Amino acid sequence: MLIEIKNLYKNYRMDNVEVEALKAINLQIKQNEYVAIMGPSGSGKSTLMNILGCLDTPTEGQYLFKNVDVSTLDDDSLSAMRNKEIGFVFQNFNLLPRMSSLYNVEMPLMYAGIHKIERRERALKALDRVGLSERVDHKPSELSGGQRQRVAIARALVSNPGILLADEPTGALDTKTGDEIMLLFNKLHQEGNTIILITHEQEIANFAHRTIHIRDGMIHSDNPNDPILVNQKISALVSR
Amino acid sequence: MQFEENIRVALRGLIDHKFRSFLTMLGIIFGVASVIAMLSIGEGAKRSAIAKYQDLGVNNIIVRDKQFSDEELEEVRAKFSQGLSLNDAQVIKEVVPGVLRVASQAELSTDVKQADKSARSTIIGITPDYIKMLNIELEKGSFINEDHYKRNLKVCVLGAGVSKTLFQHKNPLGKLVKIDDQWFEVVGIMKSKALFTETVGELASRDMNTDIYVPLTTYMNRFTQENALLSEVQQITIQVASSDKLMEVSELIKGVLQRHHFNNDDYSVVIPFELLKQEEKERQIYNFLLGAIAAISLLVGGIGIMNIMLATVMERTREIGIRRAIGARKTDIMSQFVTEAVAISITGGIIGVILGVSLSLSITWITDVDTYIRLYSVFLAFGFSVLVGVSFGYLPAKNAANLKPIDSIRYE
Repeated sequence: MLIEIKNLYKNYRMDNVEVEALKAINLQIKQNEYVAIMGPSGSGKSTLMNILGCLDTPTEGQYLFKNVDVSTLDDDSLSAMRNKEIGFVFQNFNLLPRMSSLYNVEMPLMYAGIHKIERRERALKALDRVGLSERVDHKPSELSGGQRQRVAIARALVSNPGILLADEPTGALDTKTGDEIMLLFNKLHQEGNTIILITHEQEIANFAHRTIHIRDGMIHSDNPNDPILVNQKISALVSR
Repeated sequence: MQFEENIRVALRGLIDHKFRSFLTMLGIIFGVASVIAMLSIGEGAKRSAIAKYQDLGVNNIIVRDKQFSDEELEEVRAKFSQGLSLNDAQVIKEVVPGVLRVASQAELSTDVKQADKSARSTIIGITPDYIKMLNIELEKGSFINEDHYKRNLKVCVLGAGVSKTLFQHKNPLGKLVKIDDQWFEVVGIMKSKALFTETVGELASRDMNTDIYVPLTTYMNRFTQENALLSEVQQITIQVASSDKLMEVSELIKGVLQRHHFNNDDYSVVIPFELLKQEEKERQIYNFLLGAIAAISLLVGGIGIMNIMLATVMERTREIGIRRAIGARKTDIMSQFVTEAVAISITGGIIGVILGVSLSLSITWITDVDTYIRLYSVFLAFGFSVLVGVSFGYLPAKNAANLKPIDSIRYE
């Protein structure tokens, strides 16, 4: 099992009021799954993503990643987890604006202490995988939204993480560009990556193979998507 | 992440924000520059004071004839004092222990002519010992020697200023000049001297470059004072064997002179070395003030770094969040910001050193105030600026590292 969450709680204190953001979450995700986590805003899906992404730790319960209990790790170990096992893709890309695509993609490897030459080679390969080998020296401001998101995906892929964690990856893009990004995720999934997609759009969630609905901090439903529908959707996009 | 990598990240950060980096540096630049410039002014003042007293001789005691109006002069002479005389010099040399050499000089202000040129000059009749006691440097030729003195020769040594007025760029050696109504042969030219711009004790300020030296014997034979009541010599310079005997010897000299002048106070005794010590003491407070101002400006520079770094951390919250999300540890963020602060202070320090050095050079160039840059002041200013940078860069760096990655990545 890649990810195993057992009876997880997350509480926040906001203005002296205790808020239960997540309640009694139990969840298992296997290698090479493609999961969409859905829910309206305030449902707790972002909190869940932060915990899955090792940006935050649970108040109670266990989060096992590759059988390591993340909730007991210190800050440096959490940084190392984020660096090696988690590839983030954000809604607003979160690239360093003044740096080239190549530099942005190299950055995780830099923090992993990988040598310059190897770093460059791997970053170029990752950019090639997302179809941006022509744009390595461009800064984010010189790229379109779709291209920026591809750079961000290349950055997420470059350290060969255990999971790709995409938070509303198409939220800042138009439908056509969004579909292209979703096709890219589909391809990456077929290449063996585990993908967790956080979204509030059913259209986007339909690309995944399993959908988890979160409501009021609890898992409301957890069902596999119809593989026939998914394939139809993909082939319709590809043929277009 | 490796140290070298950290430096690269920090430098990228600085280069990508040139203007901001420059603003941050300004405080350090001016701090370092002002430390160097101020210390160089202090040092320059010290050196020119020492040079001034060296001209008068640090082991010398100078007895100077007082200037009186005609009526005062008559009054003094009526009380039996003949004023400063060769006899005084002789007595001092024979009676006072610890005296190494004694030189008398008589002075007269008159016109000097050569061809169609003329100059106002002070003619100084001296004894050959003079050159052994005072800091005299010749540009050309030789000084008045024993032979000139004994044979009453009509030879003279010109001050640099007189020489220039009378001869321009021609070589004056061996030429004749007309002093008053006497012809003298030029045997030497003095090196140009810094002007005495201020009064030393009771020695009036004057331009030594207009002096002309002649043997005292010749002077006595060839020139007459316009007022017969004037003293025989105007100055007696006494060289003491060691400088810690100066006070003792000067007391003895005062005693001898008092007796010989029948308690008439018609001379003054100046001890350059004592004046130098006194002046140095007075300058201490001034140096301290200069140093304090400079230190404060460096401190303000450091606070400037802290301010801008703190603002930078706010502005760069997103960047910090992104770096943390992709795996930067707290220490990575911390060292990035500390390295930036250090790089800023080192760069600012270097620019400050350059600015400070050129500042003190141009102070001398424009205002004639002497400055002297000592190497230690450069290191002091530079080292202090780096220290300031590190200490004031630390707090913002710590703040940056302690931001929560989830909060900072959503920061707009």
